[in-house]
Amino acid sequence: MPLEPLTHSVMDLTMASWRRRGPGPPVVCVHGAGVSSREMLPLVEVLGRTHDTWSLDLPGFGHSDRPDDLPTVAGLADAVAAWLDAAGLARPCLLGGSFGCQVAVDVAARFAGRTGALVLVGPTVDPHARSAVRLVGQWLRNSVRESPGMTPLNVADYRDAGLRRVLASFGASLRDRIEDKLLYVDVPVLVVRGGKDRMVSQAWAEQVTRLLPRGRLSVMDGLPHMVPYRDPHGLAREVAAFLREAGS
Amino acid sequence: MRPGRAVASFDSATGTLRALSRFLHGRDVPLIGQGPAALEGVASAVLGGAARLPRALQEKAYAVSGWAEAVPMRRVPELRSGDLARWVTGHYPRRPYPVAFIGSSNGAMIHLAAALSAPWLPQTLLLPVRRHGVRPDDPEGDLARTRTAGRALLDANPDLVLHHMHDANQDRLMIAGMTYFRVKWRRLAAAYRAFLESSLPPGATLVVVDCALRWPTTTVGERHVFQHGALGGATRQEYEHGGPRVADYLARYRAGRSRWEYPPADGDSPEAEWGFEPGLLADLEDLAERNRWRLVRMRFGEPEDLSPVVADLYRSWYRRRGLPGDRLLVESFLLMEPWWALRSGSVPYWMVFNTEQSLAHAQAYLDRAESFDEIRIVLFSHGVESIGLASAEDWRRMLARARKVGVFTGVDTRAYPRDFASLARAHRELARIHTTYPMPLPLEWSLTEEFLAKRDELEWHG
Repeated sequence: MPLEPLTHSVMDLTMASWRRRGPGPPVVCVHGAGVSSREMLPLVEVLGRTHDTWSLDLPGFGHSDRPDDLPTVAGLADAVAAWLDAAGLARPCLLGGSFGCQVAVDVAARFAGRTGALVLVGPTVDPHARSAVRLVGQWLRNSVRESPGMTPLNVADYRDAGLRRVLASFGASLRDRIEDKLLYVDVPVLVVRGGKDRMVSQAWAEQVTRLLPRGRLSVMDGLPHMVPYRDPHGLAREVAAFLREAGS
Repeated sequence: MRPGRAVASFDSATGTLRALSRFLHGRDVPLIGQGPAALEGVASAVLGGAARLPRALQEKAYAVSGWAEAVPMRRVPELRSGDLARWVTGHYPRRPYPVAFIGSSNGAMIHLAAALSAPWLPQTLLLPVRRHGVRPDDPEGDLARTRTAGRALLDANPDLVLHHMHDANQDRLMIAGMTYFRVKWRRLAAAYRAFLESSLPPGATLVVVDCALRWPTTTVGERHVFQHGALGGATRQEYEHGGPRVADYLARYRAGRSRWEYPPADGDSPEAEWGFEPGLLADLEDLAERNRWRLVRMRFGEPEDLSPVVADLYRSWYRRRGLPGDRLLVESFLLMEPWWALRSGSVPYWMVFNTEQSLAHAQAYLDRAESFDEIRIVLFSHGVESIGLASAEDWRRMLARARKVGVFTGVDTRAYPRDFASLARAHRELARIHTTYPMPLPLEWSLTEEFLAKRDELEWHG
């Protein structure tokens, strides 16, 4: 079954998404800072065989409309919550990648009852490392382990969003206090960390899990930050097992 | 020869001594107590890099590291037990202690001693001795080559019993260029006596850590036995008579034989590494009586019998302090971290080694215990695909029993059991846990004794 490109009108903006309709319950992928669904599509391809899998371009990124305002975590979360209504998805699993985790957590914490579960893959930002300089250093150290095939996708994403918006999304990521919200996420959450992720330390991934009332950590050996792109099959297996358990 | 140079660093007794004495000095155990924390990054990078070398080269490097720290055989007769005892007691801060431990080495026991802020004096030390020209799978050759040196050591040190140990299963790489002389004190060394007399006030308690484990041996001479294998993945019968697992193991290592040939066993003796030699008791009874201390004997069948007891003790202690006590730290062999266990509010559960038996014991503990939110495990890598070694997948299944966080700590599962960087990484990762707790005051001995005396795993003679 091919990927379906879809659009929905949300808060006067058109939001683009991709869907592969598997038989299982819905999963919505939310991409990271400055990028778009492009990096999530390999996962949608795989997970979509078993689950009704979506990937969404946040407003201002990828193929979605660009609003006048620069992105904030709360603004993006509002848009995701509204998009869930527009797409007719009741309590889906939100799967965030990197900065997408911050958006997913904000949705789950502020819109109780709208999500059924979360998967946080490489959740940013460790409060112990909350500085732009450190983030850049970590990004560089991590990038050597990422798949070279991802670079042209990143370039296309940055071109789509524009430099100002890309930088603003990094700024929003650094300002957001995800650690204060985790306590209010009352759905089951799978936290996934790539074993070689230099942007998300093991200690921080553990702390995220600890702060979540119903969190569980899975470390995927040898993988860098962008697990959905690097090992979509492995991640799809983890997600499927988690949703089976969460649903039972 | 300096005693610190003669005694093996990579051994349970010295690992235990270092971890506990550092704790009593208020310090943690980076690089298993062998170097400063500042070097951890470098050590971990270097050792991690070594994990990418061809396997034969890694094994060689590990064997050479063992050989380098072993005593040249001609110098064995120079070793004096008095110097060794002084070296041991020199580790501890001098101050009055309400309780002290002496006897078998045991990782769970050091968490007990750390909780009480009490010292422990080992009965047994490992003296690795350089020896060439004997293949690891030739125990008789090993004995023949080192017998004279053993005799000379004993003649010079009438207070020692020598347990020459040969384990081609777990120590395969190490015994390529050296042999394992474990010496046990059957009389109390002068330095031990002086240390105890200056540290224990009248009314204090001296606890004998008495592990009753015995193992088949051949008598070589007076106070000299040769032990067939050791506690770990293979059984006594497998060392003695072979079996399919032994044949498979020897074939994998291209040993050119299907079983080991030990000299005939003529009985059993206190196990070389863990067992308590009761000859020491008479001196301890005398000393305790003269100094008006209580002498208590804490006896248990196997080293890991103490692990669930100490784990439960810690958990109840955390609960009394109002802490969750929902973290479990599973430790292996000489990777022990009493300081970080307490700092991170972790319940310590110690395993002799990463074997299937230890895994089964740990699983049995988890079956009985209230479930844990977090389970961490550190695994010691000895470089051998030995009989009965539990795989990374086996450990992963145990970790999955954590409610939230079940993780390897400092383990590169793809390099295990040749993951030598875990020596540096284990402490580093433990030290990075975000949520930590203030260090508690020491546990009170009377309450602890009450707790221990009730446990079925222990025979409590006091």
